[in-house]
Amino acid sequence: MGDSFRIAIVGSGPSGLSAAARAAELGLSYVLLEAEPHLSNTIFRYQKGKHVMAEPGVLPLRSPLPFEAGRREQILSNWAKGAAALKLQARMASPVTAIAGQKGGFTLTLKSGATLTAEFVVLAIGLQGNIRKLGVPGEDAPFVQYQLDDPDEYQDESIVIVGAGDAGIENALALMDHNRVTILNRDSEFTRAKEANNAAVIKAIGSGQMQCLYKAAIAKAEPAEDGPGGRLTITTDSGEVTVDCRRVIARLGAMPPRKFVESCGVEFPSKDPNSVPAVSPNYESNVSGLYIVGALAGFPLIKQAMNQGFEVIEFIEGRNVEPADTPLLRAKFERVPHWGDIDAALLTIQSRVPVLAPLTPLQLREFLLDSDVRTPAPGEALFRRNDYTDSFYSIVEGTVEVEIDPADPLNIVRLKAGDFFGEMSLISGRRRSATVRAGDDCVLIETPRRSMNKLINSVADVKRVVDEVFIRRAIQTHFVPNIDAAVLAPVVATARIERFRANDVLFRQGDPGDCLHLVRKGSVMITRDVGGRDVVLAYVPAGQYVGEMALMSEGLRTATVRAAVATETIRLEGEPFKELMDREPEIRDQVARTYKDRLTANVHAQHAKQEGGVIGFLLQQGVGEATDVLLIDEGLCVRCDQCEKACADTHGNVSRLDREAGPTFQNLHVPTSCRHCEHPHCMKDCPPDAIRRSASGEVFITDSCIGCGNCERNCPYGVIQMGVMTPEAPSLWRWMLFGQGSEPGRHEPGYNPDAAKKAAKCDMCKDLTGGPACVRACPTGAAIRVSPEDFMRVARTN
Amino acid sequence: MFHESFMRHAHWRWLKAALALCGVATAIYAWHEPADGANGGTWLGYTLGTVAALIIVLLSWLGVRKRRYASRLGTVKGWVSAHVYLGLSLLVLATLHTGFQFGANLHTLAYALMVLVIASGVYGVVAYARYPRLITDNRAQSTREAWLDEILELNESAIRLADAITPEVHRSVLRSAERLRIGGGWRDQLSSPSQDERAQEMALVGESLRAKLAASSAQSVATEQMVFLATTSLVVTDRDPQLERLKQLLELLTRRNELVDRVNRDVQIHARLQIWLYWHVPLTAALLAALTAHIVSVFLYW
Repeated sequence: MGDSFRIAIVGSGPSGLSAAARAAELGLSYVLLEAEPHLSNTIFRYQKGKHVMAEPGVLPLRSPLPFEAGRREQILSNWAKGAAALKLQARMASPVTAIAGQKGGFTLTLKSGATLTAEFVVLAIGLQGNIRKLGVPGEDAPFVQYQLDDPDEYQDESIVIVGAGDAGIENALALMDHNRVTILNRDSEFTRAKEANNAAVIKAIGSGQMQCLYKAAIAKAEPAEDGPGGRLTITTDSGEVTVDCRRVIARLGAMPPRKFVESCGVEFPSKDPNSVPAVSPNYESNVSGLYIVGALAGFPLIKQAMNQGFEVIEFIEGRNVEPADTPLLRAKFERVPHWGDIDAALLTIQSRVPVLAPLTPLQLREFLLDSDVRTPAPGEALFRRNDYTDSFYSIVEGTVEVEIDPADPLNIVRLKAGDFFGEMSLISGRRRSATVRAGDDCVLIETPRRSMNKLINSVADVKRVVDEVFIRRAIQTHFVPNIDAAVLAPVVATARIERFRANDVLFRQGDPGDCLHLVRKGSVMITRDVGGRDVVLAYVPAGQYVGEMALMSEGLRTATVRAAVATETIRLEGEPFKELMDREPEIRDQVARTYKDRLTANVHAQHAKQEGGVIGFLLQQGVGEATDVLLIDEGLCVRCDQCEKACADTHGNVSRLDREAGPTFQNLHVPTSCRHCEHPHCMKDCPPDAIRRSASGEVFITDSCIGCGNCERNCPYGVIQMGVMTPEAPSLWRWMLFGQGSEPGRHEPGYNPDAAKKAAKCDMCKDLTGGPACVRACPTGAAIRVSPEDFMRVARTN
Repeated sequence: MFHESFMRHAHWRWLKAALALCGVATAIYAWHEPADGANGGTWLGYTLGTVAALIIVLLSWLGVRKRRYASRLGTVKGWVSAHVYLGLSLLVLATLHTGFQFGANLHTLAYALMVLVIASGVYGVVAYARYPRLITDNRAQSTREAWLDEILELNESAIRLADAITPEVHRSVLRSAERLRIGGGWRDQLSSPSQDERAQEMALVGESLRAKLAASSAQSVATEQMVFLATTSLVVTDRDPQLERLKQLLELLTRRNELVDRVNRDVQIHARLQIWLYWHVPLTAALLAALTAHIVSVFLYW
């Protein structure tokens, strides 16, 4: 049996380090276990000189260690100094492979085989997972690295890349122009990466721009005795070879921590890969005595994590600290003094709003911290029809009025305390479908999109309730707004949500028509086989339905419907829907109208095959999920790049559009430029929640960007770049009259190693009046921006 | 209409404005009968001169406005539209201003410069209407960078292949690869650079292939036919490796030459699209200088 401690802290990131520091300060028996040979690996691996932000700014820091926004080096050195001052007992390079037992008797097994025991365990391992290493002697030699920050850092070096996945290939391609690159592939071909990467690497090898060793594995890495670099022993099919190189970059992926966490007995609420384990207000997991803090508990920001590290030690020691967010929550509740203090207010909210009932107290606090408590004046518009906002509202007190008929503002539906609204735009990513006004004495909780989505993904009961209400309201909106919920019950009961990936078929031409699909997210295209060729008849965005034709005519499907992008539909079964139509002639009339319109449109589209071609092309370019696309008519474009220059000039000298890149169909060109997606891929994983959508629809990046690059990687259209925005603007007159300086829009500030790179993307020039600069600067009228409602018209005129 | 060209901007607003301006000026000119004949010194002459000078300054301001990217003063497209139509109207306004009095003097120089500026502008309008589409057609979904990459690759492969054929072929391929010309000075850009080495090389490879084929099948075929036969792979006589190599080489070179021609065509169209600006802008500067001199001298000698 190895050593025994009161508290074992696993992971030395912000939360683990802070916990260890607090334990040291209190003089407790503890040990800090870190898998890597250095502290705080995630931050250690940040790019050199990277500026680290201290979001959320309003939250006070509560930790024995200092932390404020600054450069990576400064932060790491402050922590190292703090750790040294407190004489932290840390065991480096000691990955934990198993944790067994519970409160009072945990056994932790290390990779070395050693074990130790602890009464409590604090799991603070984050979400990054452990980097897979070479697994051979010399894997930690100084010339071996497991990441590449900046390919431009290396010039004229011989570099060996290990790994034939996307990361390895991308690194090799980025390095090959200025270095001698050899890539090692365990297999005999490239198959594991994205198709484009596979093609690029095979081409580069074929043209001799890099070397490749197939079926090769490193057996040994020995650093050179004199100077940098070292020697690799590599086994291949034809025997062992040795290779001298300056640098080895191994990109072998990471092991996601979920499996390990589950092996400790911790449960995750859902299979969703984004879900995190549920913990009590004291950060205790379902395993008693095992506490989870930091990113693994769903708190990815450094300051939150450090606070939790401090608090978790207090909780283990039996002290009930007031969480650091209490003053913030108290300020939020100031508007409703009759709710009493925090705990009473939380209780009030949870008892009155059923959708929030299943939340743990910690989840509720987090939820409210992100949300706003609002007490709007009666008659105040919370949002208007066609706004692009996407926050979610829960009604705690009073009522709100929904204007369901744009033509008649007096036609309203009243929602009361306990109801919620705003879920339609949240789920579909489309504009608001109705105007909502506050009623008398109304108290609301407004929650931003990201927090609500996080909740929906991590609490199954919330998801179920939201989905049920969504289905009922969607049916009401689409068919008859005033209908009684009871009449719809049979349809709602059999309705279910179906998910489709891009190009999946909802139903095929010739299938029996047994259901109707309400598109609630994404979009679909209707195609028909005409003489062996698929002709696109129409594009149907979220908020409309498909499948009514066969249902009305009692026949077979007359067209094939495919998802244009990842799509969710509400599938309404044919039989109960037909019964509903028989009972409610109003619904039948409504569906019949759509049926007639679509029939006419289909006949027209089938004759204008050209148009279908353009729609098909646009859908292939992802405009099916776009809310606004830059389209260039190449028949008018004189290739002057005014659009790019305008973009750079108005956005800190970094252009967010590449005119020439991107595909062309007939004369219609879709340049590489933001499409302002309905569900922006870039928003998916933004730690400081810096990417927002404005009420008029623009997706933009706020100043709180920390430059992590997640959005750049997540964007499937390659429209986000990491760049250094600079305020300087060249003088037009100096350039024009004396040829000095650079032309406005062409200014390239010199390389500044200290400047923080941040994400740059199109913001549709929302801060300039008069619309996007790229369009305003086009001298010939070639560049226009188009929203989905107009795609069909573009298709017709081009 | 979604994409609306600068010519049609705002329902032909500036065409209408220019026509109105010319119409009014012509009518007054016809009605006006000054004692000493029409000239720049009458009240109408001064008015027309002032209006025309103001228009010239306004139109020159396009060069400033189009680089003030944050400016909200109309769209650049609107400015271009006005630039074209008001610019054309100058032909009428300035001519009426002269009262058809021309001579070998500074005043007529300013007028001549203006006509030249307008003429180069008219070429620009025609070029803008004609060449953008040709670029797209010639590009055929590809890009210049992709072509250049492929050309370099094809060159390398061709040299490797030629090395295994005969020293003579190798030399020829190497020479043609080294002297491959893309773009060049403005004259080469506007026409297409001459490619003598390429022609020699194709002749040599074709000749070698013909000799080889003639030897193996005792057939006599013309080089042009040979290119066709070889590239469409109709000729599969036997597995003579030398013959295969020659055929392959011919295919590589044909593809490369096609790409080189495409790039040169791309360069050529771009050059034709832009060349006029190299006249239009300096001539405008000269015009502004001459115009200033014209105005100053008129007032000096008043």
